[in-house]
Amino acid sequence: MGSMTLYVEKNSLIHHLDPLVKLLYVAASIALTYILPEPLFIAGVLFITFLLLVVGKVFRNSLPIVALSMVLIFSLVIVQGFFHPDNATELFAIGPVVFYEEGLTVALGLVLRVLVMVGAFSVLILTTRPDEMVERLIKKGMSPKIGHVILSVLQLIPQMRATMGKITDAQRSRGMETEGKLLVRIKAFFPLIGPVVLNSLNETKERSIALEMRGFDAPGKKTFLNEEKIYPYNKQFAGMLVIIILLAIVWRVIG
Amino acid sequence: MSTIEVENLKYRYPDTTKLVLNDLNFSVEKGECLGIIGENTAGKSTLCYALAGLVPHFYKGAYGGKVTVNGLVVRDHEIATIVENIGLVFENPFSQMTGAKQTVYEEVAFGLENMGLVRQEMHTRIEKYLKLLAVYSVKDKNPFDLSGGQMQRVAIASVLAMEPEVLILDEPTSQLDPQGSQEVFEVIEELTKGGMTIILVEHKMDKIAQYADRVLLLHEGRQVDLDTPENIFSRGDLTDFGLTPPVVTTIAKALGIQYPGTKLYPVTIEEFKRLGEDK
Repeated sequence: MGSMTLYVEKNSLIHHLDPLVKLLYVAASIALTYILPEPLFIAGVLFITFLLLVVGKVFRNSLPIVALSMVLIFSLVIVQGFFHPDNATELFAIGPVVFYEEGLTVALGLVLRVLVMVGAFSVLILTTRPDEMVERLIKKGMSPKIGHVILSVLQLIPQMRATMGKITDAQRSRGMETEGKLLVRIKAFFPLIGPVVLNSLNETKERSIALEMRGFDAPGKKTFLNEEKIYPYNKQFAGMLVIIILLAIVWRVIG
Repeated sequence: MSTIEVENLKYRYPDTTKLVLNDLNFSVEKGECLGIIGENTAGKSTLCYALAGLVPHFYKGAYGGKVTVNGLVVRDHEIATIVENIGLVFENPFSQMTGAKQTVYEEVAFGLENMGLVRQEMHTRIEKYLKLLAVYSVKDKNPFDLSGGQMQRVAIASVLAMEPEVLILDEPTSQLDPQGSQEVFEVIEELTKGGMTIILVEHKMDKIAQYADRVLLLHEGRQVDLDTPENIFSRGDLTDFGLTPPVVTTIAKALGIQYPGTKLYPVTIEEFKRLGEDK
């Protein structure tokens, strides 16, 4: 059984940053793509985001997450390329299907925006211990219950992956083919869904009982085992992000 | 006053018609180990939940009677208050790891943080219980990287670190391999010797016979009997309740090895050997 997080243990500058600064980066990078929506600018934000993944030594780990978002990206390109209301200039055709320049330009902006979101969240999730992030948020006054909801969401994918592995092993041991051609894998996937979802729900219920039995709902003030960590250049990074957002707003207003 | 007092306890889960617990009455003294046995659906786990306050606070439903733990009436107090008096360890070690912490050391600290203990006290308790449960060597590992037996021992350490008066173990070894089970039973043996009040639900009758001072026999939510292991396992109608006595007792019955002047059979190997030699 592996760890129940997507966090990747590495020693990098990004790993040592304050989780709240990384959370601010996620918010800032997404906000910037809306404040200045030109594709070239969004591509710049995306480049910086990928650079942070490289500096954080987690670029390769982020690729499966980016791959997951490909379903959304393809559907964006197809829908906008075909059906955008401003579609007028024919760009190319595949058989009877015609793609338009206007729709694809809009799709490009949306795709870049999705990639920025996925990349920024990858920076946060892959380089931050979830417990550290939640502890920082609770110390800043967030309710522990909301903190645990965030943790549960972050654990959902690894938890389901672990459960899926166990159930696949059980099915394979009873002679079910789960490997090989794509069709075989697809046929093996559908019987998995029910048990995986039910198991995950059951485990979540049992985990909430375990939390109750550890005094999670205790009314008094909580204390923390770990001393407050001092993060390098915390204020400088946070200040820089705020200044960049303010500058972008000014640019947008003036421009 | 007894550590646990159960009076006329009745309970039915929401949207059901059948009583899962039907008029239970018993008490548990300080330092006693009470074994609870019964076939599946006998109400063993629900009884554990009722003792720990999960029934009626977490699981709603129809509730009657009174459960008192260490002087606290369970119905009138929040779970957070009750857990300072009673700890619950259940069968699946995996789902007992909170997932909120990255190391075994921090996992044990989770309950102590919720209790608001000062840092020094936390360190003292964590080290004490990790060593007691023989998992100190894995303190820096991720809890999910441990074996089932180690994970269950971490779960027990996490509960014990909160220093409750009573520890409930609800089938703590049912999902473990023989090695993992043995590790957990070694811990139970230590705790019973140390005088901790323990409620042990277990399907392995030889273990109940070995550790329990008294055994509560449940069947379809009803209290059939509450007596010493020798009296319970010498009953001729155990199979009517879907149970079989420990192997030692079965052999003793076949060989006619009994306590002199009684109709009771030995339930542990030690007693079997002693009585066998006497005979």
